[in-house]
Amino acid sequence: MSQDIHSEDEILGKAYDARLMRRILRYLRPYWKLLAVALGFLFLHTGTELLRPYLTKIAIDRYIATGDVAGLDFMVLLYLGTVLGGFIFLFIQTYTTEYAGQRAMHDLRMQIFSHLQRQDLAYFDRNPVGRLMTRTVNDVETLNELFSTGVVGLLGDAFIIFGIAGAMLWLDWKLALIALAAFPVIIYVSRFYRRRARDVYRESRLILARLNAGLQETIAGVATVQAFGQENKMYDRFQDINCGYRNVLLRSVRYNAVFFPIIEIFSALSIGLVLWYGGGLIGFNSLQPGVIVAFIQYLQRMYQPIRDLAEKYNIMQAAMASSERIFNTLDTPATIHNPATPKAPKALRGWVEFKDVWLSYNAGEPVLKGISFTAHPGERIALVGATGGGKTSIISALCRFYDIDCGAILVDGVDVRHWDKQLLRRQLGLVLQDVFLFSGDIANNITLRDERISEARMLEAARRAQIAPFIERLPGGYQEEVQERGSTLSQGQRQLLSFARALAFDPRILILDEATSSVDTETESLIQAALQELLKERTAIIVAHRLSTIKNADRILVIHKGEIWEQGDHEELLARGGLYARLYDLQYRVQEREGAVAEPAAIT
Amino acid sequence: MVEKKLAGISLLYYPALILIAAMIQGFFRYSWRININGFSRKAEADLRERVFSHLQKLPLSYFQHHKTGDLMSRLTIDIQAVRELLGFGSLASVDAMITIVFSLACMIAIDPWLTLWSMLAMPMITITVRFFGRHIFRWSHSVQEQLSDISAYVQENLAGMRVVQVYAQEDNQIAGFRKISSDCMRKNMWLATLWGIFWPLMRVVSGIAATIVLWLGGRQVLQGTMSLGEFVAFNGYLGMLTWPLMAIGYVVNQYQRGTAALSRIGEVLDAEPSPRYNGAAAGEFNLLAGRTIDFRDLTFSYGPGNGPALKNITLEIPAGTVCAIVGETGSGKSTLVNLLLRLYEPADKTIFIDGIDINRLPAPALTEAIGYVSQDIFLFSGTIRDNILFGMNTADMAAIEKASSMAQLLPAVQEFTGKFETIIGERGVRLSGGQKQRTALARAIIKNPPILVLDDAFSSVDAETEEKILTQLRQFMAGRTTLLISHRIATVRDADIIVYLRHGEIIERGRHQELLARRGAYYELYRRQQLVRQVENLDRLDGPL
Repeated sequence: MSQDIHSEDEILGKAYDARLMRRILRYLRPYWKLLAVALGFLFLHTGTELLRPYLTKIAIDRYIATGDVAGLDFMVLLYLGTVLGGFIFLFIQTYTTEYAGQRAMHDLRMQIFSHLQRQDLAYFDRNPVGRLMTRTVNDVETLNELFSTGVVGLLGDAFIIFGIAGAMLWLDWKLALIALAAFPVIIYVSRFYRRRARDVYRESRLILARLNAGLQETIAGVATVQAFGQENKMYDRFQDINCGYRNVLLRSVRYNAVFFPIIEIFSALSIGLVLWYGGGLIGFNSLQPGVIVAFIQYLQRMYQPIRDLAEKYNIMQAAMASSERIFNTLDTPATIHNPATPKAPKALRGWVEFKDVWLSYNAGEPVLKGISFTAHPGERIALVGATGGGKTSIISALCRFYDIDCGAILVDGVDVRHWDKQLLRRQLGLVLQDVFLFSGDIANNITLRDERISEARMLEAARRAQIAPFIERLPGGYQEEVQERGSTLSQGQRQLLSFARALAFDPRILILDEATSSVDTETESLIQAALQELLKERTAIIVAHRLSTIKNADRILVIHKGEIWEQGDHEELLARGGLYARLYDLQYRVQEREGAVAEPAAIT
Repeated sequence: MVEKKLAGISLLYYPALILIAAMIQGFFRYSWRININGFSRKAEADLRERVFSHLQKLPLSYFQHHKTGDLMSRLTIDIQAVRELLGFGSLASVDAMITIVFSLACMIAIDPWLTLWSMLAMPMITITVRFFGRHIFRWSHSVQEQLSDISAYVQENLAGMRVVQVYAQEDNQIAGFRKISSDCMRKNMWLATLWGIFWPLMRVVSGIAATIVLWLGGRQVLQGTMSLGEFVAFNGYLGMLTWPLMAIGYVVNQYQRGTAALSRIGEVLDAEPSPRYNGAAAGEFNLLAGRTIDFRDLTFSYGPGNGPALKNITLEIPAGTVCAIVGETGSGKSTLVNLLLRLYEPADKTIFIDGIDINRLPAPALTEAIGYVSQDIFLFSGTIRDNILFGMNTADMAAIEKASSMAQLLPAVQEFTGKFETIIGERGVRLSGGQKQRTALARAIIKNPPILVLDDAFSSVDAETEEKILTQLRQFMAGRTTLLISHRIATVRDADIIVYLRHGEIIERGRHQELLARRGAYYELYRRQQLVRQVENLDRLDGPL
């Protein structure tokens, strides 16, 4: 599987794939009116471009030749009109095209982002953040060029080429055929060039991907390179790829250096032919000189789209590859579905029931094996046991981060699979060990920018979480920005902040994954006080590390190897002298003696 | 090029002249394209190579302050911008210059006054280019920033997905994303508007010039002061000016981008390389003889703001012995190793190998002497063989097999269809954690180093495999100096000396039995791990409820 994922970034694809193109164009459909306007103005702009040589012709043949000054002035005015009109038309066309393209991109970005929000957590285990970011940002950007220059640009080029050919044929079909005589050769040369350019482009993209991967790897692994003293080897290896890349590009330089001058020569050849043949005709008075002037101007304009051909082709190819990657992402369905008709419980009381729950992340390796227990409203349940025993899996299953294999999990009498996912999670306040802080200020980190949480409620939450005095001492108070790597807040303060977050959301059921990191005694007592506030009037399921938490629990479930090994309260379990007694001996007695959270050893 | 009298006698003469002129022009364009574009590609490759080789020698602290993404964009986008300036930029300027000079000369030869009049609109180009260049540059910068904001937002959202989902913040997050995505759209539209005015405006300028020529030139033809041929030729030259004039605008834009990019690349090149590369020549030192490691009153902190990571460490590890270091996460164990390898710079005269201050040692001599397995294993994409041979120039298959057998990697490798040629993917994604560690161990062993440093090298290996590795490794360690960092008592109990680090200080040292007898921190660790083992060995037979 990883191989597939790895090669996904190397998809090159075809330059044109009708199926993909149709799907890309679907994003433009809502803006068809804009595009129709753009197309109209593109047409008008092409018209002004076609008109100008013609006006020159009229000016020469009809007015200059006959000495009509007023007529010439009128033509000059008309000419100026096409110049200014062309400017306005081109601007409107560019603007509307760009606007439709930007809107479509925005829609696409939103669709990808929203799609990712609906994915289950297992999906994010499989897909590294970097890759998904590339989909949402870079690949969409590549499509932008397709929208803005690709599709409309190609149409514009077609308009110009056919328009000029038509205009020339209309003016003088014999001369036009002469002027266009070189065209089949040019088409042939262009095709030859395009094929070479495509090969070079493909090759260079592949080498570039390797070059960038090598760079990234060296930067990320710089410590290993230095520790093994392999700078020279890495340099040689890099140089190899770098030279390979350079040589491929030098080939493309050669192709370009040949192709563009050839086009120029053909353009000159066509003009020469027009002069030669046209000049002869004028000699016999069967052709007006203005026609030749117009032809020359037409021909100069006609060769421009041909020159841009290769560039447009590369844009198309890159866009196809990007869109294929984007659609692959969008086509991955979420595995945890929201029920079509969610059921809601009659009353939200905070009743949790596990009935013979089995869960496995990989088929055949169950991590929960028939877990059954009930947490009554207001009850506090502590989960204890060794790492990997299944405590976290119980929490994940309850929050429906993963769907269970068999059995049932009921919250207030309704199976979690029948709950509306968001509504369910609103009932469950999860406080995690590693507190994730979003960039933004402290207040935003408590409310998560949820508008339903008023400022008063936010302040109240901070106060009850015992963190208000600290926040008020900060220079910015609640508006103090949180640093990405959390230097504003200590480990203990981050925990308090996450308590405040849970308090602000006020869930019926609190799920707490207690932090194991040691904090100083002062912070520890704050945490204890905040915890009391947090647990008030709620059902609580706690992955417990603090002895005080465990002792205060109504019931302790000892989870071991995916099963509930023992349950009861602290005294009962100690008296039993089983696994809990040993765990207690191992870990918590130290806490009792030292009055602080012990260093988490292998058991947490 | 264009004839003065169209109805001339020699009809073939002038078209042939045009063709010859075009071919000469084509030849020149071909050669300067080859030269200038070729030069820009070569310069790009050289620049990339130079930045790469410099980057490799920067101290690790540099990489902590500069994100990989940022460095990558300097190495890719910025170098590309410089290349475009050197290539297309200079090509277009040369091309434009020659065409402008040539065309103007011909136009002046036909009619200086008409040339002057037609050039009236030209200052508009300068004004347009200056005005739009500045604003376009500013807005493209702002679009770039908006794009990195989008990246940052997505990154944060994905990294915090658990919180997002559990607090049912998906819609809220989507709303936030919609806001910055629309901002991006809006900024892009501003940029598009500027471009949308800029390019057509350039055409307007040449269009106005053409209008003036049509108006004044047409009159001159009417008055008979100019022939129709001259008029046509003049129009032709004017047409040739359109593209160079637009190119000027483009070049100005590229110049701004290119110089900004160059200064960002310069920042990387200006960063001071790690002092480890300043040492004397490698030949002077031979560390393969003795192997005594000596820490003398070593104190170290990672930066002025941070507290000391190590405090007054004095520790002598005699040649050929095993020194084990235990201690909590963050107690300074890895720092000690980082300093020994000079990945970070210790103060002078604090760490000695065979009595030589390691700060006086050249980097190759030091790295050759030490076989190192780090805590977070970094493997390179490529084959298993490449990775084992990472620190070596050559080695035969027998040596590879021996090293991997010692690291208990061989059984796993033999199960792979590609054996040692199996490609392990980016950072070794296709290997399990334990397999990665064993590959890294083989990578260190095959160097046959006099000093072996194992920083928590068995954390992802199960206890049984670890036992096997240790048994094999003991023979290998005989006669070598070993620094062994571990959480597990079972790993360290046979060491000649065990050091307990806490908060950067040595709080206990001695042999296993001595430390147990002291009933201190080491004893506590030992007792807890024994219980862990008991708990782990509990089985169904003991019976749950």
